[in-house]
Amino acid sequence: MTQFWQQMKHLVKEIKLFPQIADLRVKALCFLQSTGVQIEFALLNSVGNLTSAPSALDWHKKLSWCLGAILVFWNCFPVLAYADTPTPSSSIQPYLNRVIERVSEFRLDNGMKFIVLENHEAPVVSFVTYADVGGVDEPDGKTGVAHFLEHLAFKGTKRIGTTNYQAEKELLDRMDRLFAQIQRAQEQGDEARVAKLTKEFTKVQTEADKLVKQNEYGQIVDTAGGVGLNAVTSADYTSYFYSFPANKLELWMSLESERFLEPVFREFYKEKQVILEERRLRTDNSPIGKMLEVFLDTAFVKHPYKRPVIGYEEDIRNLTRNDISEFFSTYYPPSNLTVAIVGDVDPTEAESLAKVYFGRYQAQPKPPGVKVVEPVQQETREVTVEFPSQPWYLEGYHIPALTASEYPVYEVMAGLLSSGRTSRLYQSLVEKQQVALSAEGFSGFPGNKYPNLMLFYALTAPGSSVDDVEIALREEIERLKTEPVREVELERVKTQLKADLVRTLDSNMGMARLLAEYDAKTGSWRNVFEQLEAIAAVSAADIQTVARATFIPENRTVGRLLPSS
Amino acid sequence: MNKERFKKIISRLGLGLLAVLLLSILRFPATAEVPKHYTELELPPPPEIELPEYEQYELDNGMVVYLLEDHDLPLVNGTALIRTGSRWEPEEQVGLAELTGTVMRSGGTQSHPADQLNLMLEQRAASIESSIETTSGSVNFDTLTEDLDTVFNLFAEVIRKPAFAADQLELAKNQQRGAIARRNDNPSDIASREFDKLIYGEDSPYARTVEYVTLDNISREDVINFYQNYVRPESIILGIVGDFEPAKMKAAIAEAFENWQVTSTPPQLEVPPATQKHDKGVFLVDRPELTQSTVSIGHLDGTLNDPDYPTLSVLNGTMNSFGGRLFNEVRSRQGLAYSVYSVWNPNYDYPGTFTAGGQTQSETTVPFVQSILTEIERLRTTPISQEELTRAKESILNSFVFNFETPSQTLARLMRYKYFGYPEDFIFQYQEGVKTTTVEDIQRVAQQHLHPDKMVTLVVGSNRAIEPPLSSLGTEVKTVDISIPQSPTS
Repeated sequence: MTQFWQQMKHLVKEIKLFPQIADLRVKALCFLQSTGVQIEFALLNSVGNLTSAPSALDWHKKLSWCLGAILVFWNCFPVLAYADTPTPSSSIQPYLNRVIERVSEFRLDNGMKFIVLENHEAPVVSFVTYADVGGVDEPDGKTGVAHFLEHLAFKGTKRIGTTNYQAEKELLDRMDRLFAQIQRAQEQGDEARVAKLTKEFTKVQTEADKLVKQNEYGQIVDTAGGVGLNAVTSADYTSYFYSFPANKLELWMSLESERFLEPVFREFYKEKQVILEERRLRTDNSPIGKMLEVFLDTAFVKHPYKRPVIGYEEDIRNLTRNDISEFFSTYYPPSNLTVAIVGDVDPTEAESLAKVYFGRYQAQPKPPGVKVVEPVQQETREVTVEFPSQPWYLEGYHIPALTASEYPVYEVMAGLLSSGRTSRLYQSLVEKQQVALSAEGFSGFPGNKYPNLMLFYALTAPGSSVDDVEIALREEIERLKTEPVREVELERVKTQLKADLVRTLDSNMGMARLLAEYDAKTGSWRNVFEQLEAIAAVSAADIQTVARATFIPENRTVGRLLPSS
Repeated sequence: MNKERFKKIISRLGLGLLAVLLLSILRFPATAEVPKHYTELELPPPPEIELPEYEQYELDNGMVVYLLEDHDLPLVNGTALIRTGSRWEPEEQVGLAELTGTVMRSGGTQSHPADQLNLMLEQRAASIESSIETTSGSVNFDTLTEDLDTVFNLFAEVIRKPAFAADQLELAKNQQRGAIARRNDNPSDIASREFDKLIYGEDSPYARTVEYVTLDNISREDVINFYQNYVRPESIILGIVGDFEPAKMKAAIAEAFENWQVTSTPPQLEVPPATQKHDKGVFLVDRPELTQSTVSIGHLDGTLNDPDYPTLSVLNGTMNSFGGRLFNEVRSRQGLAYSVYSVWNPNYDYPGTFTAGGQTQSETTVPFVQSILTEIERLRTTPISQEELTRAKESILNSFVFNFETPSQTLARLMRYKYFGYPEDFIFQYQEGVKTTTVEDIQRVAQQHLHPDKMVTLVVGSNRAIEPPLSSLGTEVKTVDISIPQSPTS
């Protein structure tokens, strides 16, 4: 359950290159649509359902009500203090310490950072390339460029994905010039010229297509036995990842370094159509997708967290290849990249290979982050979206960034409210009052590199309205301010957060993503482990203080998704 | 003497040379001083697959046990796979199996009411979950090693002594009602549900849906009866993986389950058959608010033990993923979709489907359907290239090691094979089958298993925005009504 909740937190924040629905998990697409983001599936070539856990096959049928289904499992009762209170788990720490000992790190002369965690349990390795750039870094009017670039990073290089780069380059340039001319003709309303240019454009495109070896980059990875090849773009970061059998370390070094050394942004105009289709899927035809876009736009007035990661439709349509190239040269220098390698790998070998392959990158200063500061909110904001769909209720409060000292307090509050059958929102809204099918809150929306939102959401139960859930939700939030949390409850949440990390250790990819993200966002991968100490130090008084400062009307944004008549 | 010395020199030289040679070979991979293009690499041989050791035995009451030690992390997981499923619930009580599966855990046990059970588990960051799906039921636990005794005992209680608390049953039913109300909120959700109904028939145990009226037909007594009927020792395969001590674990299993006897008549477990309901045709769920169509095309076909399964999974590979024909053609070349797929999608003991589809904007619905059909037809009529075959095979074979990444994968697989009566080495038979697949095999299975003339096409989209209209696909378009039947009592 907690894992589900963890997953959910990621789900609403990232969008993926590739849906990977190529097997029976087609059904789970409903999940994607309800959250506006993509869940990760097992790959087709891992013998599909043969390897999945016993109930995984039919499990997706449960998603027939999408987000609400998450909580179908969550059933519980009022908190009672039982004599049976286990001592806070002490057996975990030695394991965590041993893991920390197996982590090594190095930085190349050009500034590129590597983190290696050895895990020799199986002869496989997971790789993550984390670029410290996301939707927030996009220039105004160019929203979607970070995500577009992520798609194009699968299109190959000067040597991969083409039969003749020299000839292709010329055609690509001609297409760009024609596209600019078409845009101008459109602005001038010269229909005849648009038609003529479009015809010419199509002709050149057809020629260019002939030189393309489509998806060759991904194909090389697939054929070599790579699994889980994909990438995600979020407001804060762009992350590229897959896993290889352990003998392919150098192959990853070669492919991944070449990918960002000399990328060629080919098939740009076709990919634009793919991305527009992705936008229709995630946002325009998804009730909650629409809702979240409008909600963020309301909750933030200045900070780029306000904008959709996938981009506004008009911006996507107007993007040019030059926009992509400029964005790439600014935001993909080695100083802005962090690689995490987890699995059956020798750190010494990884380091010497990294020097050879990634040492090719030219050093360049790290690009600046976002300087815009969101002005302090002065009054409650409200927004309503109507769509032929059942109601959702959303409520968000501004909170500080991941690096703030009080951030762990929010993590603990999220756990208290949302984690498991004993959590407060479940007990009150879902079980006791039965006004919601599910109700949760989590920090870090839409990212947490910058001050962000603690977001609460609830799906109304039959016979209840968004007003009912609003009242019930507010009551639980108020309780955090008025009543100190009891020690036994606090201890439970802390133990769960600790155990979550132990369970993540079971996944090479999970650890790779976590280590890279923490290193890039907080300055050290060690914070993955040290945050547990910060969480352990959170007291009942801290929660009350922070809740009183945060959960006030003037810091609140309310979103309602209502059925259109 | 001289001879001896000479020999010594030679041997020293030889050793030295050998050492130099060895060193240079051994150091080779780590000392690539110049970056190489991927085609120039010489990689070490692929890793061997190592099967973890496990123990299997049976209790006197017929319960099968698998134990697999894994001391990497201080965690223990267990699953009781139960021979049951919603396909055996009465048709007027659709939802009975799922409710039983939910409340078996959520309703607490006879010794530990729900609230107490929840607290005991969550205070330890442990979990126990239960569910009943179409073809099986399961109860799982997940705990830190230090809490194994407590959690395992609770796990056994959930299996043997569930309380089925009335209030928790009501809650679960209300949640189901909420799910019914929300089931038309997302296009893909509608598409997958209605497609199954078109293929299997809306009354088939493989496609029917829970309704307000079928929920109203379910009492607590029905739930208890369903549980008592199916949850019995000889119907359970128990698998435990993780950081346990085997002798202690076995003693705990014996203590918890050995004295469990059920004497009532065993349930009827005949697998309901599946046949295709609609032979072909184009069906539409009209949603005027949509700007994008969700498309499903396909027909009934096949089980996993079909001898053509390995070949069909190579065929899946040539169509999907990076470099697959659909990804290349429909997505990258034509820009028609973000998501497009075509998959032969078998089940263990009843026919699965071949399904193709994806999403495309309303205006390109017809071209999208045609592009997919064209690719399917091409598979049937033209041999794939040797290169495509090699790539699809290598992709499966080179990534095979990922089927053995964690011991729990191996355990889950063994249990599932046992449950459905598949040979233990099925996955290796599959691997062999993939290795021997030829271009001719692909074309043969494409002709044998893919039948464009039997394909049902379902579109969830806005009828007025779909231009050219669906009727241009050359057949009458039938509209599917998805309005939700209301309960007579509500």
